[in-house]
Amino acid sequence: MSVLAKAKEIFTSWRILLLIAIILLSVWAINPRFETTGVVITSVATNTSADINGLTANMVLYDVNGMQINSVDDYSAAIHKIKSNDIVKFGTSGGKFSFIAQLNDAKEIDLGVTIDKVPESNLKLGLDLVGGVRVLLQPAEELTNQEFQDIVDITQRRLNVYGLSDINVRQVSDLEGQSFILVELAGTSNRDIVKTLVQQGKFEAKIANETVFVGGIDVKSVCRSADCSGVRSCSQVSDGNYACNFEFRVDISPEAAKRHADITKDLPTQFVGGSQYLSERLDLFLDEELVDSLLISIGLKGQETTSFTIQGPGNGQTEEIAKNNALDNMRELQTVLITGSLPVKLNIVKTDFVSGTLGQDFFNTAITAIIIAILAVGAVIFVRYRKLKVALPLLITGLSEIVIILGFAALVKWNLDLAALAGILAAVGTGVDSQIVITDEVLHGIKTVSTWKERMSRAFFIIFGSYATVVAAMLPLWFMGAGLLKGFAIVTILGVSIGVFITRPAYAKIIEVLLK
Amino acid sequence: MNFDAIGSFWDKHYKKLMIITIILLIASIGILGASKINTGEFLQKDFTLKGGLLITIQINPTLSLDDLKTSLSNEINEDVNVRELRSLSSGESSGYIIEFESLNQDSALAAIEKTLDIKLQDNYTIEEVSSQLGESFLQSAIKAIIVAFIIMSIVVFIYFREFIPSVAVLLAGFSNLIETIAIMNILDIKLSTAAIAALLMIIGYSVDTDILLSTKVLKRTDLPLKERLYSSFKTGLTMQITAIIALAVLYALTPALLLKQIALILIIGLFFDMLNTWIQNAGILRLYLENKGGKQ
Repeated sequence: MSVLAKAKEIFTSWRILLLIAIILLSVWAINPRFETTGVVITSVATNTSADINGLTANMVLYDVNGMQINSVDDYSAAIHKIKSNDIVKFGTSGGKFSFIAQLNDAKEIDLGVTIDKVPESNLKLGLDLVGGVRVLLQPAEELTNQEFQDIVDITQRRLNVYGLSDINVRQVSDLEGQSFILVELAGTSNRDIVKTLVQQGKFEAKIANETVFVGGIDVKSVCRSADCSGVRSCSQVSDGNYACNFEFRVDISPEAAKRHADITKDLPTQFVGGSQYLSERLDLFLDEELVDSLLISIGLKGQETTSFTIQGPGNGQTEEIAKNNALDNMRELQTVLITGSLPVKLNIVKTDFVSGTLGQDFFNTAITAIIIAILAVGAVIFVRYRKLKVALPLLITGLSEIVIILGFAALVKWNLDLAALAGILAAVGTGVDSQIVITDEVLHGIKTVSTWKERMSRAFFIIFGSYATVVAAMLPLWFMGAGLLKGFAIVTILGVSIGVFITRPAYAKIIEVLLK
Repeated sequence: MNFDAIGSFWDKHYKKLMIITIILLIASIGILGASKINTGEFLQKDFTLKGGLLITIQINPTLSLDDLKTSLSNEINEDVNVRELRSLSSGESSGYIIEFESLNQDSALAAIEKTLDIKLQDNYTIEEVSSQLGESFLQSAIKAIIVAFIIMSIVVFIYFREFIPSVAVLLAGFSNLIETIAIMNILDIKLSTAAIAALLMIIGYSVDTDILLSTKVLKRTDLPLKERLYSSFKTGLTMQITAIIALAVLYALTPALLLKQIALILIIGLFFDMLNTWIQNAGILRLYLENKGGKQ
């Protein structure tokens, strides 16, 4: 067969076209950027001058008071020149903004803005690789082990509501014996999230000072989809500001519903604005503060209602801001309703940004080292089979598996950490194993009279056997293991699945055509 | 490599060779058991699993993180973890966080003062921290691995439908794990999060060669037994040697200690995988098939 005919056969095979398409999709998902300017704004604290003047997260910041900013260090230097009450000018991808520099509790200049370097790709790295926000919390009272465990669980659930998964919670005690809790979060420097995290979140719904239900225990489900939650109305209030109202539905337990029936069955009724309501209102408290007070319609009197609509406000200078505040308040309330309250009150002792345990360059050097190791695999394979036709496709397949795994990680916004790297190493390693099996079956088959189809089905019988076994071994780690084990299991399963269904069939096809 | 010579050597001595693998497994269990009795642990844990001292220093950084880590480790003769602290509001570097494994604070503080050439007064805090992964992590990890072995055994049994060969695959995986942990104990490699990841990978690699061997031996009945063994040996050994060379390259090239550790543990694991696949598992399969053939 001529070279041209072989090339034609390879590039018209659907297996290879699929592989190429998925590689292209992965590169697009990773979106590597080789030169970047500016720094990215990762969060703007609510109600700061910057926030009120319209600066928002995810804008790219190019200059501060005319000084060009291309790194975190540039930004620190620029901030150093600013004094309290100075006007600060930000040039960003969203336009120019001016606002007033304020001092924080520690008497430092604090614009309420956090920044980070512009990411070099869409890959998100985990806490152990790039670090994140580190918050030291002090519990208001001595914690038992059980309480500590509860705090860890609740914190983790609250972060899940925000879609953050990479978190590290540890118990710490200083030499005087005081205990603290150390929380580290990857992928965010948003101080509002930190605030929600430590909020005790004691939610109570009361009628006439009697508790109907509390967040967590009594709440069966909280609606977060658009059909039963959202901002329903906005209006301009007397001082020119705007006020919005959010509402969402919660379903409560039968016991709580029974309490509602008992409390309301003897309440008298009253007329408000032409409609009949019960004389007492449903008061919603968050951490002992009244959030809202709702009228109870007459139809609910003495009823074991399991479904409630919770409402609350949000204010701001413009309708847009008021709406966003209402949405933020709603999310905060939903979070504590879902996750329940912390067993004790926590105070933030300090908040810092902290680098990863493995160092900044770890990920890049690790990927480089893995790629060199794959090149070494290519060399060994070449020595073993003396055929470039085998070694080159094997190399390409191994490298494309890495690209596809990373592409998938970028697509689902997964925090890549040490466990993920180990999983990639495991997947690529077993991938090479399978390719050797394919190669040996093909070369051995050439000597005998068996057909291509027979050889491939033999090779894939072995490959599917080890695939099924590896997946079976990883499933318990996925479902039972925490953190590290889970991440490792997911990446390994993903990697070997990509191998079995995408890259190895393509490799088999290339080898088939080249060796024919 | 001369596969034929190895093949005929194995053919003559495979029963004696199997005794070696049995001794290895028993010795490994013995080493781990002795360690458990003497120190209370199968393997010593490093600070990622055990916790230790956490010292936070507020200074303008003078040394890079890697330099500080290296000099401190040399000074105090144990592994330390160094991280950088930045202010949330300005992004400015504001100090270091250093984690020590031992709980001796005087020597830790002295080492920091010497390495950074500073006097520590009000500019530091010192705390004891628990493990990064929590108390229950190891227990749940062990449970998950046991369940993993059980589910694996079910899958292997469904695949081959023969009891003894399925048990042999699992025994090989189990032996690999135990023997690797025993060597880690001897070499004083501490159990860390990275080591756990590496040990998990050993299960995956070990399964690959054992499935290859079992499939060829049990399913290719059109060829004579020796030829089936020989062909799987050729393929499987290529797999293992390739992996060992790649990992050795990784070990030599990577500056990251953690990857080095993973590579080293995997190399040890793959070495035992060779013994357990080609001596133990192949021996069991041969005995099983000859026995079965004899009865028929």
